[in-house]
Amino acid sequence: MTLIKKYIPLAICFLVGLMTLASYYVPNKTSENYLEVMNKWENIVAGFAFLLGLFSLFFSHYNKIRRKVDGWGYSLFVFVGFLVMVVPALMSHGKQMDGTSLTGLGWGYRFMFNALSGTMFSVLAFYIVSTAYRAFRIKSAQAGVLFAAALVLIIGKVPLGQLMWDKMLGWTHLGVTQIVQWLMDVPVVAGRRGIMMGLAVGGIVTALKIIFGIERQYMGKD
Amino acid sequence: MKNFLEKLLKIDRRLIFLALAILLVFPIVKPLGLPNLNLGSEVKSLYERIEGLPPRSFVLMSLDYDPATRPELHPQAVAILRHAFRKNLRVGILTLNAGATGLIEEIGERIPKDIAPEKVYGKDYVILPYQPNPVAVMTQMGMDLYQIYDKDRDGSPIRDMEVFKGIKNVKDMQLGICITGTAMLDYWIAYTGDKFKFPMAGGVTAVSQMGYAPYLQTGQLKGLVGGMKGAADYETLINHKEKGTSGIDALSLAHLMVIILIVTANIMMLWLKYL
Amino acid sequence: MLKTRLNLAVIAVFLAVSSVSAAAPASQKNDLPKPDFAGFEAKDMPYDKGEAVLLTWPAGAADVPGALYQVYAAGADGVWVKADEFPADSRFAADFDLPFWAWKHDSTLHAMQVELPSFFKDFKTGQEYGFKLKYVNGKTSAESAEVKAVAAANMFNLARLNNLVLLVVTIIVFFWTVSHAKRKGLFIRRIAGLDAIDEAIGRATEMGRPIFYSTGIGGMSAIPTIASTSILSEVARKVASYDTQLKVPHFDPIVMTVSKEIVKQAYTEAERPDSYRDDINFFVSQDQFSYAASVDGMIHREKPAACFFIGHFMAESLLLAEVGATTGAIQIAGTEQESQLPFFFTSCDYTLIGEELYAAGAYLSKEPMLLSTLKVQDFGKAFVMFAVGAGSLLLLAGTWFNWQPLLKVVGHIFKAY
Repeated sequence: MTLIKKYIPLAICFLVGLMTLASYYVPNKTSENYLEVMNKWENIVAGFAFLLGLFSLFFSHYNKIRRKVDGWGYSLFVFVGFLVMVVPALMSHGKQMDGTSLTGLGWGYRFMFNALSGTMFSVLAFYIVSTAYRAFRIKSAQAGVLFAAALVLIIGKVPLGQLMWDKMLGWTHLGVTQIVQWLMDVPVVAGRRGIMMGLAVGGIVTALKIIFGIERQYMGKD
Repeated sequence: MKNFLEKLLKIDRRLIFLALAILLVFPIVKPLGLPNLNLGSEVKSLYERIEGLPPRSFVLMSLDYDPATRPELHPQAVAILRHAFRKNLRVGILTLNAGATGLIEEIGERIPKDIAPEKVYGKDYVILPYQPNPVAVMTQMGMDLYQIYDKDRDGSPIRDMEVFKGIKNVKDMQLGICITGTAMLDYWIAYTGDKFKFPMAGGVTAVSQMGYAPYLQTGQLKGLVGGMKGAADYETLINHKEKGTSGIDALSLAHLMVIILIVTANIMMLWLKYL
Repeated sequence: MLKTRLNLAVIAVFLAVSSVSAAAPASQKNDLPKPDFAGFEAKDMPYDKGEAVLLTWPAGAADVPGALYQVYAAGADGVWVKADEFPADSRFAADFDLPFWAWKHDSTLHAMQVELPSFFKDFKTGQEYGFKLKYVNGKTSAESAEVKAVAAANMFNLARLNNLVLLVVTIIVFFWTVSHAKRKGLFIRRIAGLDAIDEAIGRATEMGRPIFYSTGIGGMSAIPTIASTSILSEVARKVASYDTQLKVPHFDPIVMTVSKEIVKQAYTEAERPDSYRDDINFFVSQDQFSYAASVDGMIHREKPAACFFIGHFMAESLLLAEVGATTGAIQIAGTEQESQLPFFFTSCDYTLIGEELYAAGAYLSKEPMLLSTLKVQDFGKAFVMFAVGAGSLLLLAGTWFNWQPLLKVVGHIFKAY
């Protein structure tokens, strides 16, 4: 049992990891074919995994409805929403357009999914404003520098801000877009590069830990 | 006074939401018509790149945004498409995001209607179907795109289409543009741009724009359109103002409100602390 | 008579001058240099997958502006196809984008890569193809003899040797640190976010409210998600021992399957297998904002005492964190997306930045082997800092003293091919 649960998965992980790594250095058609096969297998696994997730979702919400836990009414919407989109999709064979007219799926996508998704994203705008008011307090010198940079960027990114800057500080002959460009090109890039390099190194070490079987969380420990 | 300021500092966030909503509705109902004078240099880079392409060059557009980021990114896609068709370029449109399929349909509807009515599907442009597993698709596109895309979204074989004449993989294409609200552009740069020396450009949300500055500096990205302002800039460059430009007024007022709120909050905090 | 002789002499001189000037262009035409095709060679293009052939021939006086080279290729059927045409003063071996250890950048040699599948639909690796070169300069032309070559797949891309050396060194350092794992403890600086996990779980236990743990919207192949599952294992073990309620909503079904295994194992290790329930991990949606809306609803209704947002997050980060903040939950977040870190900073109590996320598994478990691998991360960062510093100094020196070879060497060593 240990062989199947522990050693075989570790061996598969090690071999596949090494082969994928080696394919970067071997320009042969064989390594290209290997990568293609791996990608196709990943697609197939993702498809079956989605089915698994769907069953988990339905089961979890069915239980909530059956036991009538708090908020079980919301669980009904999972099934309603699923049927409202899937049934028209099956009827129109997955097509959103039937010639020039919308199918049921297309209508649902354009007038329900589009609107709901856009609404969720737009909530971010409100949250950003309220968070900025609540949390952006200058309590230290570093926070002051951050505020100054943020202020310049907020002003410099929109025409109204640019007009205001030109009117109030135009005498400095320093355009806000120049400052914004400098901020984007120098401190932002430097900070981002530093974080990117750290993340890249961390990513490499994590990948090596998995390939060589030191990190085994994903298969449950012994 | 002290109590009043403390209450103001802890004001119910719903009042802030209401104030913002009123402020945003106003310019939509009655546009302010603010001029868009300062255009981003990275937007100009993309514009000049497309301007410099010879006629019938092939541009691959990967529209990987879902309806959530549609308001910011759809105007970018439309403006770039308009420009590409005006330059008589061949355009291949695809998506690696399942949520974007409906948006691709919208674009497919709009091209013969108002974006480029003179262009012929199959000869000047093609729309490819959605494919899962983006990394697999990008890797395959660098080797042989017909292995992953043998038919277009309507099921017609693409190999013999005039739009794909002389195209086997991304090395035969002149420019790739990924418009996305996720990290898809990073994948395009890593798996296609760097690996196959394929010139890449991008369109991203405003919040992600800063993160791509290193790629612009190293030349891994040939241009970048950021957010609604970027869309407005591009519309100004192609001299065709649309949704991007119309949203700038609301954006300006929202930015102004954020500045006023932050400054007010800090003044109140300092007042409470020192006075 | 004299006048007639004079006229005859003038005519003779005129005819002589005309014949000389007519002869001059002809002899000038014959003086136009022609390229040297004696050195024209075709061989397999190195470091490729066997679809290209490399043509080389010496540059010379014939490579003048206005002149053209035309390349022709033929398959087994003998039909010649025009592969390319380019100005004669271009396409040198010095222009190839390959490093100095894999390629000789010779500016006295023309070099051209011919991608055969672009011209032959029935192309097969290992098949012999013929090539010839034609030179055209106005009315002057010259053609080379046919040369044959076979495109073969290569086993190693020498251009990526710098990358391979770095990988091998990293692996050696990796194994060295792992083999020295048990010698002595390794100092790790305090990471407030990870130290606060005990506090968060304790708070949830006292208040009798659940803990929400989100692994983000990345897939299982994403490194932040793997790091998140390491932290989930430690959180689940502590939750199991305190008998607190844990809820883990998922964006990706594969991550959900893996997380189920991890949490089950954690409960078993905490000797609480009976407390484990399968619905601790549940799938929500593979759409970003649907996931955020659902989790926000759950947080708003169930009012958890602690929320963990650890993994790959994009725009939904603020939606999740802000709703958690309104319920008064203690929040610990960590993501590799720098654009989302500001949102987590403002809404969460503790934030893990960058590779603190990747060090979390080792930090929490205190396993010697995992701890020792942190040294590899430090080595990697030290190498990067040294490379940036040394590389910058060398480039500065090369530019200052105009040492082109040094600039070339440094540029090639630090480039990815």
